[in-house]
Amino acid sequence: MKFPSPSSAEAVIAVSGLSRHFGAKAALNDVSMFVSRGSVLGLVGENGAGKTTLIKHLLGSLKAQAGSVRVFGLDPVLDPVGVLGRVGYLSERRDLPGWMRVDEFMRYTQAFYPGWDEHYAAQLLEQFQLDPAQKIKTLSQGQQAKIGLLTALAYRPELLILDEPSSGLDPVVRRDILEAIIRIVAEEGRTVLFSSHLLDEVERVADHVVMLQHGRVVLNGRTEDVRGEHISAVLAFAEPLAKAPVLAGAHAVTGFGSEWRVLFGGSHLELEAAAALIGARVVEERTPTLDEILVARAGGKGS
Amino acid sequence: MNVGRLFWRTPTGAMLWEIWGRNKANFLWQAAALAAGFFFVGCNEHGASRDASANWAAAAFSCFLLAYLHLLVCCGYFEVDARTMQLSYPRRLLFKPVSTARLALMPMFLGGIITLSSFLIWTELVLRHWVNFTPSGLIWISAVQLSFFWWIQALAWSFPFPMGRLFVLIVMGIIHFLVWHMAQTRADAWSGWHWPILFALLLSALSVAWLGLKLMRRGKWESPSRISLFWTRWTYTAAQGRRQQFRSALAAQFWLEWRRQGLLLPAVSGGVACLFIAVAFLFRKISGTAGQSGDPEMAASLITFFVLPTLAVPLILSALLAPLMASFDRFHSTGELPVYIAVRPMSNGGLVLAKLAMALATSALTCFVTAAACLCLVLPEKGILFSKAGLVTPFGPVGFMTGCVPVLLLLVIWTWKNLVAGIGAGLTGRTWISVAFSLGTLYVVNFGPFLLVDTARTNVNFREVLLHWLTTILIACLAAKITLSITAFVLGVRRNAITARAVGWMAGGWLVCGLFVAGFAGHVCNEIHKPDVWIWAGLGGFLILPLTDLAIAPLALAWNRHR
Repeated sequence: MKFPSPSSAEAVIAVSGLSRHFGAKAALNDVSMFVSRGSVLGLVGENGAGKTTLIKHLLGSLKAQAGSVRVFGLDPVLDPVGVLGRVGYLSERRDLPGWMRVDEFMRYTQAFYPGWDEHYAAQLLEQFQLDPAQKIKTLSQGQQAKIGLLTALAYRPELLILDEPSSGLDPVVRRDILEAIIRIVAEEGRTVLFSSHLLDEVERVADHVVMLQHGRVVLNGRTEDVRGEHISAVLAFAEPLAKAPVLAGAHAVTGFGSEWRVLFGGSHLELEAAAALIGARVVEERTPTLDEILVARAGGKGS
Repeated sequence: MNVGRLFWRTPTGAMLWEIWGRNKANFLWQAAALAAGFFFVGCNEHGASRDASANWAAAAFSCFLLAYLHLLVCCGYFEVDARTMQLSYPRRLLFKPVSTARLALMPMFLGGIITLSSFLIWTELVLRHWVNFTPSGLIWISAVQLSFFWWIQALAWSFPFPMGRLFVLIVMGIIHFLVWHMAQTRADAWSGWHWPILFALLLSALSVAWLGLKLMRRGKWESPSRISLFWTRWTYTAAQGRRQQFRSALAAQFWLEWRRQGLLLPAVSGGVACLFIAVAFLFRKISGTAGQSGDPEMAASLITFFVLPTLAVPLILSALLAPLMASFDRFHSTGELPVYIAVRPMSNGGLVLAKLAMALATSALTCFVTAAACLCLVLPEKGILFSKAGLVTPFGPVGFMTGCVPVLLLLVIWTWKNLVAGIGAGLTGRTWISVAFSLGTLYVVNFGPFLLVDTARTNVNFREVLLHWLTTILIACLAAKITLSITAFVLGVRRNAITARAVGWMAGGWLVCGLFVAGFAGHVCNEIHKPDVWIWAGLGGFLILPLTDLAIAPLALAWNRHR
């Protein structure tokens, strides 16, 4: 299943033909994607794939050099107030005012959002076990991520954008943050876009996934569909091979001797046909994880 | 064996290389400043008149000084700690397998050698021959300067608590100045003593740096101090009862700006004013006239040496602190907006307005502090000031105090103007624009009119032409300024960077302040019986007050915020 069309009124995010260069390097190259209301989109890709650059365009921190970006139908560069008032954002860089106390930062942030829910903020404060009297610079990395998330959630934004929310955090804090996101989705049905290279998180939370590679969209669809369109299989050959076989449709081939594992993009029948063409038979197959797909896509087809 | 290549692979070589690697772009700026200096030297040598010659020499000197001070900063081995956002020793080097002594001493010696040799070359090759500046006791000056440079390094690298660091630095600066001054002026009494004292200072700088880095390596200053923790807890508890929500986003942004830098200017101005009050007190004691109000000479000296400089302090400091005004977070390492501000739903015009309002509030507080300090200075001499000096007799004390109000207002406006001039360049977040603007302001806006006036003073024909056309020139400049501002405002409104209401506030404020300055100038011109220059003073007032800067600021911020 594909995302809604650009004309859909339900599209919270509509990116079309977006390109961005930093000097000679193309950070984003003709990226198009649409996020419908109420969906949870996982933006995945290796480091430097362009995830943060894309998110910065959605927030209006970067101006599109080519193409267009619309959030709630508005241009985030021309109407930052209209867009940012409806977006909650947690940055990968914990760029917080270290000199403020936790309570001061909450009070400061509250002033910008008429929909700030004090009761919910207090509840999150307690849930995240944050001390309001503590200075932000004295908080641990995990606590800083939590206060960032708290101030992004407390006004119940229509769209929540999380850029590597669990980057550099321990499993306990990652779990806390993921649970908060899951609760928002389950209870309030809000739209969430979050980037991560920890794909087990994405599989757990996202119903849609967009994979970026070298600034291009290489995968775009429902998480289950993306997984279902790939097969992780073991091919057996009659004779041991000195080098990796070339299999049409395979994203990665690893192994040695007469047994080779392939990550194949296509159906079971297509895999069998392709294997037969190179004199192999399929001895094992299963649905791959997102992690395996990303590694295969990013790592190329080497052995 | 290639000894040169091997040297670069040693820790010393790597540390030396880092000075070059880190500052390549900075060295280009220094080269530009030096080139400008040589250009001015060239102008000086090609048949300049005596007065003009002094101006060219001053311009050349300031260029060389700028380049030299910049070199000191480059060789200081400072780095902004990404975690604490404070000046510190490069933290990554602490984890290298190198002894602490080497970590501390190598950059000190390397920096010392580079800066000292530059200073000696500069003095010998440039100043002595071309600018006709001959410092006496060159070795002594170099040694004192080296000691102070090492102290700056030692304190900036590892000394905890920024305010404490600044305080110790000021104390060390005073000590070094006294050591230098006493050796220069009291050579007989100090004979044989000044070098041992200087060696003690040099050694103590090395020790402080070494000890500081040793403690830093052990993580001694990682956690906040008990005093800091107590203060944070106390302020939280104290604010519990009276904490209220901000009335608007603008109020919250104003609060943030105020908390960041609102008290800096009043505190520094107040500190300097306190120094003046203390020195004035000593001055009276030494003169033996304490408590003897009635000496006209004392009153005149008081005004010349203490009251007028105290009034000038906010103006000078505001011009120096102006670059800080554009930054949203003083400790943010780049010119970009901090994320926690960039993603707030507030227009660029709103963010700029909060800055302008904070600048006005801090200017008002600073001038209030300055006025209080002036009052403290003149109170012991009030008798003579109010009765015999003839200064305020026609108005009486009450009239005099009332007359001070417009002066105070003028001081507030001027301080505010100094603070916000250049805010547009700063808000772009591009260092090269800020630097180019500062240099442009220094050499074109300030130095240009100065040259014009200076030439008019010596050249009668030029003066007559200038006076004939001055009104037209001023009106043309004002028209250009207004046209530029209107264009920027229209662009800002079209691009959603500023609201029409904010435009109204800015333009209205400029008009009111301009009228006030023009009215004040008119009054002064009338009092000094020169009513014909009123139009120039009035137009000059409108020209000096920032409007284009304010109009450009939201666009500049938009350029920074939406890159």
